[in-house]
Amino acid sequence: MCGIVGYVDRTGNPAALDVLDTGLTSLEYRGYDSAGVALADEELTIVKREGKVEALTQALDEEHPDDVAVGIGHTRWSTHGPPSDANAHPHTDCSGSVAVVHNGIIENYDTLKAELLERGHAFESETDTEVIPHLIEDALERGCSRETAFRGAIERLEGSYAVVAVFEGGDELLATRQDSPLVLGIGDDGYYLASDVPAFIEYTDRVSYLDDGEFVRVTPEAVTVSDASGAEIEKPVSTIDWDPEDAGKSGYEHYMLKEIHEQPRALRKCLRGRVDEIDGRVSLDLDLDRESVERIHLVACGTSYHAALYGAQLLRAQGIPAQTFLANEYDESALAGEKPLVIGVTQSGETADTLGALRTAQSAGAETLAVTNTVGSSAARECDHALFVRAGPEIGVAATKTFASQQTALHLLALWLAGGDVDPDRIAALRAIPEQVQSILDDDSAREVAAELTGSSAYFFIGRGPHRPVALEGALKLKEISYEHAEGFAAGELKHGPLALITPETPIVAMVTGNDERARKTVGNVKEVQARGAPVVAVTDGKANVEQYAQHVLSVPETDPEIAALLANVQLQVLAYWIAHDLGRPIDKPRNLAKSVTVE
Amino acid sequence: MSAVVLAAGEGERLRPLTHNRPKPLLPAGNRPIIDHVLDSLIDAGIEEIHIVVGYKNTRVQVDLLPTYRSASINYVQQKTQLGSGHALLQAEDVVEGPFVVVNGDQIVASEIVTEVVGAHDDADAPATLAVLDDSRAQAYDGVDVEDGRIVDVAVGPDIPADYGLNAGVYVFEPSVFDAIRAASSGDGTRTLPGAIETMLDREGPIRAVETEGIWVDANYPWDLLVVAHQLFDHDALPEAPDEIPESATVHESATLRGAVAIDEDAVVGPGAVLGPNVCLGENATVEANAVVDNSVVDSDARVGPNATLVDSVIGQGVRIGAGATIAGGPGDVRVGTRVFEDESLGAVIADRADLCGDVSVAPGTLVGPDVTAATGVTLDGSIDPGQEVVR
Repeated sequence: MCGIVGYVDRTGNPAALDVLDTGLTSLEYRGYDSAGVALADEELTIVKREGKVEALTQALDEEHPDDVAVGIGHTRWSTHGPPSDANAHPHTDCSGSVAVVHNGIIENYDTLKAELLERGHAFESETDTEVIPHLIEDALERGCSRETAFRGAIERLEGSYAVVAVFEGGDELLATRQDSPLVLGIGDDGYYLASDVPAFIEYTDRVSYLDDGEFVRVTPEAVTVSDASGAEIEKPVSTIDWDPEDAGKSGYEHYMLKEIHEQPRALRKCLRGRVDEIDGRVSLDLDLDRESVERIHLVACGTSYHAALYGAQLLRAQGIPAQTFLANEYDESALAGEKPLVIGVTQSGETADTLGALRTAQSAGAETLAVTNTVGSSAARECDHALFVRAGPEIGVAATKTFASQQTALHLLALWLAGGDVDPDRIAALRAIPEQVQSILDDDSAREVAAELTGSSAYFFIGRGPHRPVALEGALKLKEISYEHAEGFAAGELKHGPLALITPETPIVAMVTGNDERARKTVGNVKEVQARGAPVVAVTDGKANVEQYAQHVLSVPETDPEIAALLANVQLQVLAYWIAHDLGRPIDKPRNLAKSVTVE
Repeated sequence: MSAVVLAAGEGERLRPLTHNRPKPLLPAGNRPIIDHVLDSLIDAGIEEIHIVVGYKNTRVQVDLLPTYRSASINYVQQKTQLGSGHALLQAEDVVEGPFVVVNGDQIVASEIVTEVVGAHDDADAPATLAVLDDSRAQAYDGVDVEDGRIVDVAVGPDIPADYGLNAGVYVFEPSVFDAIRAASSGDGTRTLPGAIETMLDREGPIRAVETEGIWVDANYPWDLLVVAHQLFDHDALPEAPDEIPESATVHESATLRGAVAIDEDAVVGPGAVLGPNVCLGENATVEANAVVDNSVVDSDARVGPNATLVDSVIGQGVRIGAGATIAGGPGDVRVGTRVFEDESLGAVIADRADLCGDVSVAPGTLVGPDVTAATGVTLDGSIDPGQEVVR
């Protein structure tokens, strides 16, 4: 999914740059692995940056004209194919006199590109989009008017598209759509074109929805909409009266809750095409020599660090020595005498600490692998290999679905590194995850438990084995969004100190699944805190009878021990969400925190 | 033009399948009913869709997200379910001018929507609705049409035989909201047929478009089998072997006979025999040598090795153990105190029920969600949610 935006100033007090920047920021939910703008003055000024819109904003602040009246912009979220500077929009023709942004897919671009190459056009990118400016250029050279050239180019396209073009020395935008959204905004200060209303709602609430096959020409004087034959169309103008902030939230109060509920879908995408139950195989699209991997270092921060701790356990269970490091504590000394495969786990792929650790590893000659949600991110590009977790865009600052997807991707990676041949029952258990997560989301207990716990003086989370990283993550989630004091401990560590903190005002959330030795020992730890009067929340599949020592029970379905930890975490996400909600916190934008931390 | 989709009701008659999700999310073939509804709207040129949600609203919201195909989707909450008119009232602030209204749980051809929209354009009436010449009118709302105008509205049963079926596809002017407010019944509910009667009294003629095209509704859970059949007949489902998604796996020794639809990530094991009239939802699994005939298997469900599944509707995440037998109808189905005799139903098994190996299920059985059945037991009648059935 991509977002496009265009602007023509009407007032003679031009500020295209501000408008485009605001628009792209509002469309960031549609993707943010690269962004760019084209400003049309005597010459076209094109600025593109990989990464979030913020990076583009910084670049624009530094070096570019802020008194231009006409421009277009684009923000991109690629799910496949290599994004790069060259592939970022806007795209231009050979002479740099036409710039185009596009959302959609041109199905016949191969044929068109071959034809244009033969006629001497030079291409700078591998995108389908770039054929459009060259087609326009071709027609302009043959003496066509801009509008004729634009229409002629569009006529050649097969596929889906919303397209906006600007021209050197011009003060007009030409645009059209077919099966991709394009909305026209009519303001007193200027005219707007965008993939979605939030891009310009700050400036105007009067909009006109363009239909497939309609063309629009925007100048400072007027907006003209016409059909394919050129006949003018009178478009109705409607007024937006909903809060645009809510649009991307699908009716949810917060992105975080929406993203928690998106987990079944995200996990299906993470697993898709990577598991084969009939043959008992995990296959990953990695060009990595499994045989040569002797040991593994995982480097990460925050939530991704907890996923890395979990991944390291799964790797060790497969007989692969694996160690986890906080990326900001990783240095050459960790690499002394070793040549590990270094895996950086980072949602955004831009986490400065993690990039730093990966660079340290690379300069020491280690092979590197990024486990990330963002195709085209710095981590994905700089590492020797990249495994994508496919969770889709995550807007809430507190990571939720991306953690579950990281856990699952690392689970697959551990099985793949161990050779990829897997018991079909294990594959069946992996395939059952999305539905089991759904069963937890269909259960309202965590919300009720949250109401009981809110107002406690501190919250402690305990777990053993795969549940330990989840205990840490459960505490981090609660801290981040509720501002309450929360800590996670290995269940066995409690008696070595933290037990002194336990009072009747400090609930203990204990993860106990299965009925193995680990579960029985954790039940023992639960008894210790219960005897000291602390309220206990048991997150359990009911196999170890921990319920009898607990005031509250959050159920998870029965499954393999490692997968149980993923399921238990979903209950903790919902619990943290409702505690923060009951406290009235700004859940999607907690104080002092940013979604991806790009400073060390 | 924008459209309002009414999707707030549970659809109680579809229990036990509606325990976790409303009727619009139940499977029509291998996709949710509401997906077919939205397809028809979008194919008819609708670009802005408002969905009124209520019962289990977040399931609908996360299933569809903010865009579906090219249309933007907004959600409107109906906190208490007080009738179709009350549901539409909730959307009063988000629609302008004439707008389309459809039910989120009834599949209608996009041509029906197109015709109603087209007819309304040149009409001077405050509402236009689609009427089908269909014997099912008795089970729904009937309308009497003369010269393209509605002259009477009747709610079933006992609708005069020459009345047409109100297809539940409307174009309304905003004056409908006043008519809904005026049309409260004694119990506080407000219905759209009630509003139409009020509009007839207060504003004069209402336009009717006598039309035809696919119109499919499930009244009871076992009707989902008929729905799948009708969709296959209208080529509205992707048919294997030509249209199997790349992510699905069908073992080379499996047999697919007749109409079979297979969704993303589904797995069909060696020697399995599927069809005719079988739909496998996303990530559903049919294990080795199982036989599935005339059944809808919803997403994430698993039919174990050597199991037999005939004339059945299987909910999300259901597990049917090795060698289990659901041999098919006809059978008597008991719903409360009512008995539906000789329905061609094997069983309806609701979400996440777990039937162990060698379970056998008598024809016409309804199994509630989260039921567990021990190895070798026989299930019969209607089994309440969460029950553990042991020997």
